[in-house]
Amino acid sequence: MAETAAAVSAAEAMLVCEDVHKSFGPLEVLKGISLDAREGDVIAMLGSSGSGKSTFLRCVNLLETPDSGRVSVAGELIRMTKIRSGKTVPADQNQVDRIRSRLGMVFQQFNLWSHMTVLQNVIEAPVHVLKVPKAEAIERAHAVLNKVGLDDKLDYYPSHLSGGQQQRAAIARALAMEPALMLFDEPTSALDPELVGEVLRVIRRLAEEGRTMIVVTHEMGFAREVSNEVVFLHEGRIEEQGPPREVFGNPKSDRFRQFMASNL
Amino acid sequence: MDYEIVIESIPKLLSGAVLTIEITALSVVIGLAFSIPIALMRVSQNPALWMPVYGYIFYFRGTPLLVQIFLIYYGSGQFREEFEALGLWRFFREPYFCAVLTLTLNTAAYTAEILRGAIRAVPFGEVEAARACGMSRALLFRRIILPKAFRLALPAYSNEVVFLFQATSLVSIITLLDLTGIARIIVARSFAVYEIYIAAAVIYLIVTYGILYVFRRVEHRLSGHLRERAGMDEAAPAGKGAIPAGQPAPVTIAVR
Repeated sequence: MAETAAAVSAAEAMLVCEDVHKSFGPLEVLKGISLDAREGDVIAMLGSSGSGKSTFLRCVNLLETPDSGRVSVAGELIRMTKIRSGKTVPADQNQVDRIRSRLGMVFQQFNLWSHMTVLQNVIEAPVHVLKVPKAEAIERAHAVLNKVGLDDKLDYYPSHLSGGQQQRAAIARALAMEPALMLFDEPTSALDPELVGEVLRVIRRLAEEGRTMIVVTHEMGFAREVSNEVVFLHEGRIEEQGPPREVFGNPKSDRFRQFMASNL
Repeated sequence: MDYEIVIESIPKLLSGAVLTIEITALSVVIGLAFSIPIALMRVSQNPALWMPVYGYIFYFRGTPLLVQIFLIYYGSGQFREEFEALGLWRFFREPYFCAVLTLTLNTAAYTAEILRGAIRAVPFGEVEAARACGMSRALLFRRIILPKAFRLALPAYSNEVVFLFQATSLVSIITLLDLTGIARIIVARSFAVYEIYIAAAVIYLIVTYGILYVFRRVEHRLSGHLRERAGMDEAAPAGKGAIPAGQPAPVTIAVR
């Protein structure tokens, strides 16, 4: 019942999160986050460290399990259940795996599979998770690697690439799954300053293509220019939310003003 | 030093070496095959899975190999009727079978423990990346964790294989004519203790070198990602695959 209702209301929404809570032990990291992403949305998520933005992103693809609240991806509600100890767990791991295969995640630390070449990294999940024929996956890999400017690095191992190249390879890996929604978890925070630009350019290009994405970032300029919605998290709550022009031009909360002042 | 007796004994010693290598190879191959499910059970969080294998590994690591061989070879004799009823006696009365069985169980325990450490050492971020793109648990183990763990385990595992190869000399005590067994017989007849055991030791050394060589080759093949990129400088002027000007040269970056 609840599932069909969610599916109807979320028809055009790629992501619907309602009242997501998450605690680690006694520490409540998310105190009820509700956020929608419609197709084509580029949502920039800002906040100081510890504000819960990464945790929220990880709750969307169930790398962390929310304690309560509802998450639907592309109209499909992720079913949860409570086990005896009172912990909430996904009711159906197959559903979680399927939904994850539609979400492209880009990590702060790239997390490329270090024993595989760039090409192997990119075709791994399409071939083994989506069961795309290998030849087709390789063709697709060429296209996405071309898009991120790494088509001449197919047979390089990640350790032979610079940080920026590794992150672009990781973006290509996520893109190769043709995800409905891409999640970027501080994609430039682990990079040397001179390598940040090349990664942001790739993400900007994806935004211009109309890809739906949520980008957790510290790059204020990027958030202002590329996103169509800015969400500012503070201590596990959404403190400020709206189009970048409004949010940056006329912030309502003092905390966001302080945050902006300390991040300029 | 009596060289003549050494030269005379070499064919016999080599035939013993063949048995030594055969027992080693059988135990290594079967033991490795067993060690994978054992290691997977060992890293499980389900007590019904990890507790029995914990006991098994503890026993085989905690007792001398010679005692294990005695227990299986001589110990099985005490249960002859039970084994006969099960149709297993014709195996357990053979020292060859008992030797291979003991060595297999022994190496499987050690190898499982090596693999367990390697599985634990697989970078967590790479595991998360696999989960994040929708890999099921089985696929995650098959495609990411085990291939990485094998690479990590290889140096320690080559040690284990060499150790097992040396340990096969113990099977001579249960009447098998392996390299050590043959040497003992020749020594008993000729009293050329020094010459014969030196000759046997040299054969052990040569085979050990061969084992290490194979592992070195396998390690080299599987560790391209840990080396400097080969042929970098030669490839550069060729254009294709070269580093475009202005872009930083590929450097090895440790990402943790």
